[in-house]
Amino acid sequence: MAQPGRKTSPRLLALRRPLPSWVAHGIAIATCLALLILWEITVDLGWTNPIFLPAPSTIIATMWDMSVNGNLLPNTGVSIARVAVAFALSAIMAVPIGIAMSVYRPIGAGLEPVIDFIRYLPVPALVPLSIIWFGIGEETKIFLLWLGTFFQLVLMVAQDTDRVPHEYFEIASTLGAKPLEILRLVAIRAMLPSLVDNLRITLGWCWTYLIIAEIVASNSGLGFVIWTARRFMETSQVMAGVVMIGIIGLVTDQLLRRLHKKMFGYMHS
Amino acid sequence: MTMPYLQFNDITKTFGNLDVISPPFSLTIPHHQFMVFLGPSGCGKTTLMRMVGGLETASTGMIALQGEAIGEPDSRRGMVFQSYSSFPWLTVEENVAFGMRFRHDLTKTEKRDRAQHYLELVGLSNFAASYPNRISGGMRQRVAIARTLAAGSEILLMDEPFGALDAQRREQLQVELRRIQKEERKTIIFVTHDVEEAVYLADRIIVFSQRPASILEDIDVTAQIGDDRLLELRESPEFLKLRSSVLHTVRAALGSTQ
Ligand SMILES: Nc1ncnc2c1ncn2[C@@H]1O[C@H](COP(=O)(O)OP(=O)(O)OP(=O)(O)O)[C@@H](O)[C@H]1O
Ligand SMILES: [Mg+2]
Repeated sequence: MAQPGRKTSPRLLALRRPLPSWVAHGIAIATCLALLILWEITVDLGWTNPIFLPAPSTIIATMWDMSVNGNLLPNTGVSIARVAVAFALSAIMAVPIGIAMSVYRPIGAGLEPVIDFIRYLPVPALVPLSIIWFGIGEETKIFLLWLGTFFQLVLMVAQDTDRVPHEYFEIASTLGAKPLEILRLVAIRAMLPSLVDNLRITLGWCWTYLIIAEIVASNSGLGFVIWTARRFMETSQVMAGVVMIGIIGLVTDQLLRRLHKKMFGYMHS
Repeated sequence: MTMPYLQFNDITKTFGNLDVISPPFSLTIPHHQFMVFLGPSGCGKTTLMRMVGGLETASTGMIALQGEAIGEPDSRRGMVFQSYSSFPWLTVEENVAFGMRFRHDLTKTEKRDRAQHYLELVGLSNFAASYPNRISGGMRQRVAIARTLAAGSEILLMDEPFGALDAQRREQLQVELRRIQKEERKTIIFVTHDVEEAVYLADRIIVFSQRPASILEDIDVTAQIGDDRLLELRESPEFLKLRSSVLHTVRAALGSTQ
């Protein structure tokens, strides 16, 4: 019942009102389409110069052309492989080290200042050093991506481990679990949801650093494609490369989100 | 000769320069006793209990279980906390079976049967496959109790385990805990601030003084209201009389400083 003398606020304006997923998807798609159409129209009407901003239809056509006749796909493959290797390396190192930093205080005390220092070094500033050390081969790219992600990730993992309630450790120990069993069966399981989230976020950063690395020190990969196209003022090819990165990002992010929901159903009630 | 079951021998505890337990504290708890600790907030009840669990060490003195000094935590002494009591990523049944992972003396079928037995004991057989976020807070505490028993605990250390529950659930769990303790013949140390709960559950109550903790009163509850704790007992004159006398002691404890 509505209270007398007080207007009930319209349901649409109710805060945090749940939205059915088909409506949410519908709104998302409609927004994207609207933006694309708007963009297409501005170019078609000659409001912008296609040399600076090609129409979406041109970009799609260019992407198709570059895939069929050019080498967009192999270059995409190279970039994905670099990200995958560097990211895997980061994660494989960061997870155990981060956990160790949190649960064995001396390790944390020793590593934290070092990691904090390196973490604040901007990756581009280390490109020259990296080229001096590793030349311009694959090592440089992997190193730069690793550098940009490992030190961030290791601290996130340490923080995730810190946030596991101490009660879990204590309960497990009074149920007969030994320290390594507690880490394996309790700590990692308790932090896994936020670990997967942090991995997803870090994976996004990998792409940022990849493009930097490929622009300055590479003759393959999407960064190289974009940079070469720029030299010839092929704006639609530049855009095609950029859109490709966006698509890869979107797809992996969505996949990881789905995986998260599936794996951690016990959290979402 | 009978050896004392659980014995606190001249225990003191300081955190930095905070005296939590002093003068030296001594207490003997016989086998199968339901012991309740009552006392002002911050007096050191949790600290004493954590020492029995091996989660804290005494500054001086020692605690002995059947004549042996206790050390690192193990499955003989199980903890039940008020919060974070069950693992959210495991189903109810997996939670109950958790402690048996570390027991190599049981076969797979024995472990299954044991898990079933304890699930039934706490009335959760129908929720075996549920995750903790799908069941009530009271059920989660049952899970914790069943898990501790299934792991093979002889002593249950329960720190305000029903503190977050509403009155009805609380009463229901009290009845069951008392029944389970007698059926399974376990020794329990139970901390609470609720005098009614203390009197209903306990064979014996220790009332502590303000920090630093020392024993203000040692009350033999069974001698006064008997062993059989039917719900009706709560309205009986003996129960009410004992409850009000304990309440007075607790109030006196609040004013007590050493
Ligand atoms: N790890 C610790 N470090 C420093 N001080 C501590 C620590 N653990 C407990 N204390 C202090 O020791 C005192 C006793 O704490 P304890 O938790 O044993 O009290 P309690 O009787 O269980 O209180 P409550 O009824 O509020 O739970 C408190 O003053 C507390 O702040
Ligand atoms: Mg306490």
